[in-house]
Amino acid sequence: MFRLLAAAAILACAAPAAAAPLTFAFTGIETPKGAILMSVYDSEEAFDRGGKPLVSQMVAVAGTSVEIVADLPPGRYAVKAFHDIDGDGKMGTNPFGIPLEPFAFSNDAVGDMGPAKWTAAAFDFDAATPRHAIKIR
Amino acid sequence: MLNRRTFLSHAGLATAALAIPEALRAGSGPADWRLALADVPGDIATRRLRRVHGRAPAALKGTLYRNGPARFRRGGSASGHWFDGDGMIRAWEIDDGDARLAARFVDTPKRRLEEARGAMVVPGFGTPAGPDVPVSSSDDTNAANTSVMMAGGKLLALWEAGSATEVDPRTLATLGQKSFSPELKHMPFLAHPRIEPDGRIWNLGLSGRSALVWRLSASGALEASQIVPLPRASYMHDFTATARHLVIVLQPWLQDRMGLPYVDSLTWRPERGTQVMVIDKADLTRSRIFELPAFAFFHLGDAWEEADGTIRFDGCLEADPSFGSTAARAMVAGVHIDTPHPALTMIALHPGGRATLTSSGIMAEFPRCDPRQAGLPRTRTVHVGGYIKGAPFAHAVGVWDWAKERDDAYDFGARQLVEEFVPHDRWLVGTTINLDARATELHVLDAANVARGPLVTWRANVALPYGFHGNFVSA
Repeated sequence: MFRLLAAAAILACAAPAAAAPLTFAFTGIETPKGAILMSVYDSEEAFDRGGKPLVSQMVAVAGTSVEIVADLPPGRYAVKAFHDIDGDGKMGTNPFGIPLEPFAFSNDAVGDMGPAKWTAAAFDFDAATPRHAIKIR
Repeated sequence: MLNRRTFLSHAGLATAALAIPEALRAGSGPADWRLALADVPGDIATRRLRRVHGRAPAALKGTLYRNGPARFRRGGSASGHWFDGDGMIRAWEIDDGDARLAARFVDTPKRRLEEARGAMVVPGFGTPAGPDVPVSSSDDTNAANTSVMMAGGKLLALWEAGSATEVDPRTLATLGQKSFSPELKHMPFLAHPRIEPDGRIWNLGLSGRSALVWRLSASGALEASQIVPLPRASYMHDFTATARHLVIVLQPWLQDRMGLPYVDSLTWRPERGTQVMVIDKADLTRSRIFELPAFAFFHLGDAWEEADGTIRFDGCLEADPSFGSTAARAMVAGVHIDTPHPALTMIALHPGGRATLTSSGIMAEFPRCDPRQAGLPRTRTVHVGGYIKGAPFAHAVGVWDWAKERDDAYDFGARQLVEEFVPHDRWLVGTTINLDARATELHVLDAANVARGPLVTWRANVALPYGFHGNFVSA
C-alpha cells in the first residue's frame, strides 16, 4: 500500500511535467508572405533581459492568420513574436533600433517605448487553456 | 556690448505697455492670453479675410504656411505640455491684394487614437501615457505640430522626434507619414532643416548620443544619410549650418534616463557647460568640439564662416530650460510662470579653438534669416520680442542688425500676441492674435523699415492658437 501511494505520488508529481500542445493563434497579419517567428520564455530574467528562449518556432505565412503549436509542460510563459516579411530571419529595424516589421507579445501586451515586460506578457498554461490568441501589429 | 539706444527703446516700450491702466483692459481678464491655447474644434474652411489697414504690395503673391498645436483637451483630460497639442496647418494665401485663410488638422495616428478614446492619452514631450496606449515607435506619438517645409511639390508637416508628414499643399489633406527610404522609416526628422540657397536640405534626427544626418535634394529626395556619434545626449530642437559645416549645439539639458514623458528624462546640468560640435559637410567623420558656458536654447540663426575660419551664428539663449520644463507645461492649464526670456546672442567659434558669446542686449525668439543668404555672411536677424511681465508671448517684431547694433522693431502693443514672422523678398510676413478682436491677423511689413508698422493688415473671423513656425511659398 505504501509503495502504491508512493508510486501515485511520483505520478502526480510527474504528470504536470508532461508536455501538452499549446496552440498560439496569430491574427492581424496584413502582408501574406514571409513567416511568423515566435520565441517562448519561461522566466522573467530571460524575457526581460535578452536571455535565451525555452523554445523558438517558425511558421510560414499565407493568409491573415497562422497557428503555431508548441509542446510545453504546464507553467507560466511569455512570448515574443514578429512577422518576418522579408524572410531574412531577423526583425527589421531602422538605424535607431525601431522595429520595421510587425511584432507582438503574449497577452497582446504593449511596451513603453521598448519591448513589453514579463509582468504584462506572462500567462499560465494548463490543460484547461490550450489556446493563446495574439494579434500581430 | 549692450547697446544703449536699443536698451532705452526697449525699456520705453516695456514701460508703455506696463503703463496701460488695468481699467483700460476692462472686460478682458488679465489672463486672456489663454486664447493662445484655446482648442480649435475642427478644420477651418477657406475664407476671405477682411482688410483692416493698408494695401498689399502688388508683387507679393503666395502662401504663408504655418503649423502649431491647436487641440489640447478632450473629455476632461488635457495635454501635459504646450508642445503636445495636435498640429494644425494654416494656409494664409495672398493674391492680388486679397488674402484667404484655410486650416486643417494633420491626421496623425495620435489624433485618431485620441479622437476614438475621447481623451488625451498619447504620451508626448510633457504628457504622460494613458492606459493601454500602443507605442511601437515615436511616430505613434507624432503630433506633426512644429513647422512646415515645401519639397518636391508636397508640404511636409514637421515634428522633431519622428517622421515628417506629407500634406497636400492645396487641400491641406494629410497624405501620410513620410519615409525617405524603407530602411529609414520612423527615423526622426527635426522641424528645423537647414536649406542651402540652391535648395539642398540638411537635417538631423536624434536619439540619445546619436544623430542621423539627412541630406536631401532641393526636390526632397534622399541623397545621403549617415549616423554621427555625439559627445552627449542633449535635448536639441534646432541646429545650424554654414556653407561648409553643420553646427550642432549641445546644451547641458541631458537625457540621463529613459522614460515618458520625454521632458522628465532630462536633467539640467549647468556645470557641464554647453558644447558646440562642428562637422564637415563633405566628410561627416571630421568634427571639432568647442566649449562654452552653460545656456539653454530652442532656436538658432543661420551660421556663416569668415576668411580666417571663424564660424559665427546667433541664437536665442536662455539662462536655464525652465520655460520648456515647467512654464510651457503650466500654460495648458492657463497658468503663467515667469521664466528667463531668451536673449539674442552671437556665438563665435574661433579657429584657435576658443568660443565666445556676445549679447545683443535684446530679448528675442523665433530668429529667422533671409533664405537667399543661408550659410553666407549676413548682418540681419528677424525676431519677435517685446515681452511684458506677468504673461507669456511676444508683442513686437523686429530686425536686429549686428553691424549697426540696432533693432528696427514694431510693437503691436499689449493686446496683440506676435507669432513668428518670416522674411520673404523685401518683406516680413507673419500673424498676430488680436486679444480685443479675438481674431488672428495677417500682416506684411517692409523688412527695411519695420518700425513703420504693417504695410497691410487683414483679419480673420476666427482666432487660431499661437503657432510655432512657418514658411512662405511663392505662387
